[in-house]
Amino acid sequence: MKTLKALLLALSALLGTARLTAADEVNLFGWSEYIPQEVLDGFTSETGIKVNFETYASNEELLSKLVAGGGAYDIVQPSDYTAEVMIRRGMLAPLDPAKLPNLRNIGAQFRSLPHDPQGKFTVPYMTGTVGIVVNTEKVKDPIKGYKDVFKEKFKDRLVVLNDNREIVTWALYSLGLSINDITPASLAKARPVVANWVKLVKVFDSDSPKTALLNGDVDIGVVWSGEAALLWNENKKFHYVLPAEGAHMFVDTLCIPASAKNKDAAHKLIDYIMRPEVSKIISDKFPYTNPNLAARKLLTPEQLANPASYPASNTARTFRDIGTAAADIDKLVTDLKSAQ
Amino acid sequence: MPASATRPLLPSGLKLLNWFLRGWTALVFIFLYVPIAVLVVFSFNSSRLNIVWESFTFDWYAKLFANGPLIKAAKNSLIIATGSTVLSVIIGTGGAWLLHRYRYRFSQAIQTLVAIPMVMPEILMGISLLILFATIGLKLGFTTVIIGHVTFSFPFVLVAVQARLQGLDPALEEAALDLGATPLKAFWLVIVPCLKPAIIAGALMAFTLSMDELIVTFFIRSASAVTLPIQVFGLARVGLNPMLNALSAIFIVATVAFVLFSEYLKKLSR
Amino acid sequence: MPAATPALPVSDHSRPGWKAWALLAPMVFWLLVFVVIPGIILFVYSFCERDEVGGVIFNFSFDNYRRVFDPVYLRIFARSIGYAGLTTVICVVIGYPVAYYIGRASEELRNRLLLLVMVPFWTSFLIRTYAWITILKQEGMLNSFLAAMNLGIGPFNLLYTPTAVVIGLVYAYLPFMILPIYGSAEKLDNSLIEAAYDLGAGPIRAFSSVIVPLTMPGIAAGTLLVFVPAIGMFAITDLMGGAKVPMIGNVIQNQFLQARDWPFGAALGVIFMLMFALTYVILQRRGSRSTA
Repeated sequence: MKTLKALLLALSALLGTARLTAADEVNLFGWSEYIPQEVLDGFTSETGIKVNFETYASNEELLSKLVAGGGAYDIVQPSDYTAEVMIRRGMLAPLDPAKLPNLRNIGAQFRSLPHDPQGKFTVPYMTGTVGIVVNTEKVKDPIKGYKDVFKEKFKDRLVVLNDNREIVTWALYSLGLSINDITPASLAKARPVVANWVKLVKVFDSDSPKTALLNGDVDIGVVWSGEAALLWNENKKFHYVLPAEGAHMFVDTLCIPASAKNKDAAHKLIDYIMRPEVSKIISDKFPYTNPNLAARKLLTPEQLANPASYPASNTARTFRDIGTAAADIDKLVTDLKSAQ
Repeated sequence: MPASATRPLLPSGLKLLNWFLRGWTALVFIFLYVPIAVLVVFSFNSSRLNIVWESFTFDWYAKLFANGPLIKAAKNSLIIATGSTVLSVIIGTGGAWLLHRYRYRFSQAIQTLVAIPMVMPEILMGISLLILFATIGLKLGFTTVIIGHVTFSFPFVLVAVQARLQGLDPALEEAALDLGATPLKAFWLVIVPCLKPAIIAGALMAFTLSMDELIVTFFIRSASAVTLPIQVFGLARVGLNPMLNALSAIFIVATVAFVLFSEYLKKLSR
Repeated sequence: MPAATPALPVSDHSRPGWKAWALLAPMVFWLLVFVVIPGIILFVYSFCERDEVGGVIFNFSFDNYRRVFDPVYLRIFARSIGYAGLTTVICVVIGYPVAYYIGRASEELRNRLLLLVMVPFWTSFLIRTYAWITILKQEGMLNSFLAAMNLGIGPFNLLYTPTAVVIGLVYAYLPFMILPIYGSAEKLDNSLIEAAYDLGAGPIRAFSSVIVPLTMPGIAAGTLLVFVPAIGMFAITDLMGGAKVPMIGNVIQNQFLQARDWPFGAALGVIFMLMFALTYVILQRRGSRSTA
């Protein structure tokens, strides 16, 4: 290891290590297609602060890039359970509420969630759920929960997220077990359930599960609410329901890494995004559930009537970080899928 | 042709072979271009979701040119692909020739190492290169992305050129050297022209690999060095819209037009 | 070596002097820095313990390797090799005549055709794949076409089946077979086939006993460029196969992007690369012996 380090250092001398940072720039590392460019442009024209926007497509991509040492970011956008582990590891800086007056626009129910109970480190950006979307032209049976979806009758008519923790979570919900307290015993109980379900699914797709539904290759999906909202906008035959057994809710947050160089500008941008009229722009473009209650007042009745964006009742729970159990889940699902 | 006179079957046999080859090639080109045709047709589709045909429109082309980030990503991809192709061709062709020409002490080991980037999973290459760059303090950006792309592209050039070298007559270089050329001159004036088809093939592969790479690039890029695949993959989350088809259509039409135009220029200059 | 002039005996030409080493140095440097060092990093990581945010804790053990040799992963590995092998064989069969045809076309036409083989792949992977989905889906173009032609065949339920995966793989890798074969077929000409005829061979015989052996280096190169990357491929199997069965590429990627278990991902990768390197070295030894 020592010789390796010495070698690397010699190399660094060889290649040169120029680093430049400008004071009026903020480096944002966020989800792709989640923050409209016009919001960032509006911020720049108002404050003169340039936003360098880099994107990722999953929480693990964000973490991998941070851990491997990439980029110096001023704002990151992890989901709840990822923010939780980042807080625990001291990767996030506490926010200064004095610099975030627009925090009052955020609904109280979104400010004291388990991943950050006092809302010290994170500000909710958008939230959503994982639920069931049904093509009501093809499926006439009432669909209320996972047990109505995963039936022999619907074999090869299902699309579900290609995410191992998700499918195990649904199995745990259907068994009435905790989704965040993963033990060998609970996984052993979930195993036969998942084994049966995997055989029924036609497509696993996390990136664009709506495609298979729109194409008519499948009739029921267990998907992100954002996907379901887009489907509803396209055609009202796609109904969204939150599973009766329980559903997963995600809260995507805005936070400042402990290593951020320009925390001041980062606070300014976060506060700007929480303005009702700015938050409305985001809702117009991406139909997720907006936790900004002041912004919700600016939305059209049609937007608020989209059952995927604003479901009637929401008893969904957020994920907690499950540590090493993530590897057990991966092994379980990989095992069952490859046994087919 | 005395042979054909004694064996009348010969020309017809050759002709048959020629027809077969021509027909087969045409079928393969249809296979290659069917999805491209679909993609181009859908670039004129008014439906946002790229799935069912609604009606004809030019809107997506207008929207494409108004979409700054997408145009920028396309430009970046072209810059990065060109840079990494040039470097890959230099390293790959030179390496193939030297390994062919001389018996180096570790040539077998070097040969095996060259093939490793082809087999290394993208995620492993991306993360390990990022760790390397972060440790030596090399700032992420176009340079790091090009370094990464060259690393997985140049083996393709090298392998293609090596295949060509295997059939090369060793007397060719000897002759040039006997005529008093330096080894470098002999390489440049005799060997390179001989290798040209393989170099072109290798360059095309390197360019294509760079234009289409997503995962390695994600790790070693900076905010400004956004490439087309990264932009496109992000858009999949909200639905791939026909704007992307429009971009691809322009790309293909422009390339084909460029090919025809350059041939035309060549003819004019003659 | 001051006497490095044409006056040297031929046999000494292949002994590299310092100049030849200096010329090779950039490539060796590149390999050492951007292939060997990352490889060493992965190798070290593969013996470590996983950290909760990703990354590793430097606590050395062989645990990760013990997990690699689980039958689940071996089965997945075998399946990935199977798909890659099938893809390679189909690519050779489909691609060879095309490469041969392009190689014998007039020089002007040659480069144009070559470019036309590659141009479809300058569009984005996702866009291309979605175009295939539009064609292969149940109510897609292929089935509508078959219905319209009234041939009595179809409709086929192709999308999200292994057949769709193979179509997607062959499509993606075909150019990487055609181009290297072209590289070695370009120098052949009709006189060779004619010579074969003169010796009394039929068209098929002439092809198999004269043309194919002469283009063997191209076929070998194409096989390498298709088979090897295809083993690790999973984006196509995910999109066109519905991600129902995991490939070795999925498993490795998941360790980083789902399970956050870097050391295990690194161990899988190390074994994967070692197996490849061993096979490669053995095949090369055999190849060089048979030509010598």
